[in-house]
Amino acid sequence: MKTLRKYRWVLICLLLAVALILPQVISSYLAGILCRILLFGTLAGSLNVINGYSGQMNIGHAGFVCIGAYTGAILATRTGVPFVLQLVCGGILASLVAWVLSKPMQRLKGIYLAIITMGFCEITRIISLNWVGLTGGPLGIKNIPAPVFFGVKFNTPERYAYIFLAILVIFTFLTGRVLNSRVGRAWISIREDDLAARSLGVKLGHYRSINLMYGAFFAGVCGAAMGPYYRYIASDMFSMDMSFNILSMVILGGQGTLIGPIVGAAIINTVTEAFRFAQEYRMVLYAVIIIAMMWIRPQGLIGVSNSMLSGRGIVKKRGRGQKNERPA
Amino acid sequence: MEYILIQFVNGLCQGSIYALMAIGYASIVGVTGLVTFAYGEVMMIGAFAAYYTFQYFADQLLVGILASFAAAACMGFLVYKICYERFFDKPRHISLICTIGFSMLVKNLAQILFGANTKAMPSVIQNFFLDIGPVRINAVQLIIVATVIGLSGALYLLFNKTQAGIRLRAVNQSRQAAALVGINVKRTILFGNCLGCGIGGTAGMLLAIYYQSLSPTIGSTFGNKAFASAVAGGMTSIPWAAGGGVLIGVIENIGTAFLPNSYRDVFAFVFLFIVLLLRPEGLSKKEGIRP
Amino acid sequence: MKKWLSIVLALALCLTALAGCGPKTPPETTDGSKDTQAPPSQASGTEGAPAASELKFAVLAPITGNYAEFGKAFEVATKMAADEINAEGGVNGRPISLTVYDTKGDATESADIARQLVGQDDIMGVIGDFSSTACMADAPIFGDAGMVLLSPTASHSDFTPMNDYMFSIMGRTDDESRFFISSLVKDYKGADNIGIIYTNSDWGNQCNSSMMDQAAKDGLTVVADEPYTEGEIDFTNVLNKVKNQNPELLVLIMQTVDCANALNAIAQMGWDIDTVCQGASASQQVIELAGENAEGLCSTTSFFIDENVPREKEWLDKFVAGAGFTPTVHAAVAYDAVYIMAEAAKSCGDNVTREGIREGLANLGEYIGFTGPIEFDETGAIFRKVLIVQIENGTYVRRTDYNYGNQ
Repeated sequence: MKTLRKYRWVLICLLLAVALILPQVISSYLAGILCRILLFGTLAGSLNVINGYSGQMNIGHAGFVCIGAYTGAILATRTGVPFVLQLVCGGILASLVAWVLSKPMQRLKGIYLAIITMGFCEITRIISLNWVGLTGGPLGIKNIPAPVFFGVKFNTPERYAYIFLAILVIFTFLTGRVLNSRVGRAWISIREDDLAARSLGVKLGHYRSINLMYGAFFAGVCGAAMGPYYRYIASDMFSMDMSFNILSMVILGGQGTLIGPIVGAAIINTVTEAFRFAQEYRMVLYAVIIIAMMWIRPQGLIGVSNSMLSGRGIVKKRGRGQKNERPA
Repeated sequence: MEYILIQFVNGLCQGSIYALMAIGYASIVGVTGLVTFAYGEVMMIGAFAAYYTFQYFADQLLVGILASFAAAACMGFLVYKICYERFFDKPRHISLICTIGFSMLVKNLAQILFGANTKAMPSVIQNFFLDIGPVRINAVQLIIVATVIGLSGALYLLFNKTQAGIRLRAVNQSRQAAALVGINVKRTILFGNCLGCGIGGTAGMLLAIYYQSLSPTIGSTFGNKAFASAVAGGMTSIPWAAGGGVLIGVIENIGTAFLPNSYRDVFAFVFLFIVLLLRPEGLSKKEGIRP
Repeated sequence: MKKWLSIVLALALCLTALAGCGPKTPPETTDGSKDTQAPPSQASGTEGAPAASELKFAVLAPITGNYAEFGKAFEVATKMAADEINAEGGVNGRPISLTVYDTKGDATESADIARQLVGQDDIMGVIGDFSSTACMADAPIFGDAGMVLLSPTASHSDFTPMNDYMFSIMGRTDDESRFFISSLVKDYKGADNIGIIYTNSDWGNQCNSSMMDQAAKDGLTVVADEPYTEGEIDFTNVLNKVKNQNPELLVLIMQTVDCANALNAIAQMGWDIDTVCQGASASQQVIELAGENAEGLCSTTSFFIDENVPREKEWLDKFVAGAGFTPTVHAAVAYDAVYIMAEAAKSCGDNVTREGIREGLANLGEYIGFTGPIEFDETGAIFRKVLIVQIENGTYVRRTDYNYGNQ
């Protein structure tokens, strides 16, 4: 156990060093892919906090990204507040919406939760498509200014990679701390057995809504960071397709692990890029990989094998009769 | 006022197609206990089967119904083998992701096989109009509603009067108890899944006839509608799912009378939110397996 | 320990995949030759480049997704043009090579590919993308990199002024909309009150607002003005809404497929209304999809393939043989775009640079393309004369019996 911890820090430092140097040595094409990996790594990580650690089924994560992205872009184009403030505002607004959304969600369970989040994602997208005065409607928001730090304009993927990297590092560090705190343990206890958790005095609704807000905050931050990178945002970027993409990354990498979603994001982004040669068969290959992954390793590449999420938990609880007959 | 009335009638017609989709969806969820996102694509395949049948074999509605049902039921078999069979004891999200993957697979393969172009559905129904006061009803609407009612009647008989239907209902209520009285649960689930997909395929064909066009990307919007209707009805209850479908059709059409048309998809979801807020388990009474 | 090992392995896998796929991206070159032996990136910028080295351009097209048929049309038409140019000896002896990138009809995807393209120094210019939205998303990226984006189809009037490197040969949509109202609606149809249904997109919104302006000037009453979401297949709702206001003439601002769907819905609900459409642009697809429901539809188009003209007939046959479906105006302008790009490259002489291509395009003068005369104004857009066509017995017929001098 001790060697593991020691190796872990070595590994993390190594990865960080590689990530820091990488944007400088690779072409801007590869830097673009790196940006996507880092961005979706954080997004997948934040979805993982919700799906993987508290067992709430969120399939509409793009809705939060959408709110963050529009907040950031509107602030950037109309007010010119500092970049960091744009990110924070995007995050805060997304998390406020998550708080509102968590109220009706408290009464619901399982797939009904999934449906609420899906509906939320679609409603957010349609409203941003139609509210022309605020969001530009179908025109989107164009010409979003690239951030400037210390006189350097972050307008290329090589430079922007550092911003995404910083967000990812902050997110991973914070989440690691939160998960080891009282709050994180409460989330995990809800995931493993909500009845038992409640009997131990864990306030389900309270912790679930904190959980959703935490995940939404980082989705919002990522959204706000996306705008200045793409230089343009429009509502169709935040469709259910994006939600499904993030979800696939989380599940491919492994729910309920800190590093899994990042690995998932890395793999999916590189694989879809590597399949460009396949032209129209590219998405077919992508779909086949997702299905194959579910067959071979449903807990994800780095998934924990003894948790509720991998299906092992079910067998243990089998005997409890009618209520547990339904899967999960 | 007249306008609202017209919208109401349109809503009923559209709602009846949603109802058929929702019936199929509810029977799938009822027996499998798992949610599917591949349903829209199954419907699309049904519509394409009917399209090619109309093109190359016969220009008859009945033949189209059979072809779409058969093709979609075959898809149901595939969905079962790929997305369900191994995952009944696993957490739900695994088969959910599988169905998402499967829907992507089918949608993209269909784009390659059938071509990405939108195709014109041959009109197999001779159009005529029926004027009742200010409301004008056309033949397509009438025949669609008639088909939906006919199919629902047939399903009712199937579920209540046949051995297979009773087995399905037994599995719907409790898988363990059904196994105890000697029902082959897996085979029944397979049958129920194929049946539900077949109904979905027929609904897909009717939609294509109603809009006179179809394309490989038609699936997802309607899959979501079917999903929403079934959820509003409580996921597994077939009559309530049908009711949910009709309600969503009517609400959408009346809602767009007051707001721009592009808000249309919002109404379905807002309605769903309200239903879930008031009755967290959907409109129906709680019974049977729910996912 | 095993877990960490698998992480490292997975990351290693990614890195190798990246290293493997990165540098040689071209998924498809039109002349069929694998150009992994392409000249080093600086070669095109230096004086003594080998005469036979390829001149590389990229094509952005929505090969998959909702606009897939237009993307396919782009792919086939640009390939036709490139093959023709190469058969005649290429540009100053250098063959041109086109690489098609699939943008899925998605502005984000398009911007992503744009960022890759600016990093590939051997690509001299880009043809595409299909939608105004995607082009406007790409504009700052190409503009910052000093790379030409020549869109065959983006017609939004705000697109080309975004920076000096943006060009479009579709003709500005606001011009067409004004012509549409004053010539087609007012003079030709003689309508006084109209109902408009428009696509909720950059293009559709601009058509709509230009039409509203012009209608106010011409003293027409717009009794209904309804947006719908792109790709809609259920038009009954919105049609009923407009029908309720009793317009004399229905104006559709829609691309081809949507237009056909709307026409079918009109016939199905039994509404007897005269219909005109901007965006259908003499597309055969409208006739294929709507059949006799399309009969009598008037639309405006900047280009119209006349089967009686041998050259156009030949082009049409060639396209259909390659694509398997009949082209719209979009294919023809994509075809022209390649020729214009080649023309601009020709003007650079032996030293073709990105900046040179821009100069070449800006100083093109009047070029007579397949689709008609093309001359860029100072923003990089062109003015196109617009024709009125009507569907009669299943084919398009050009209408000339209106006050054509007015436009």
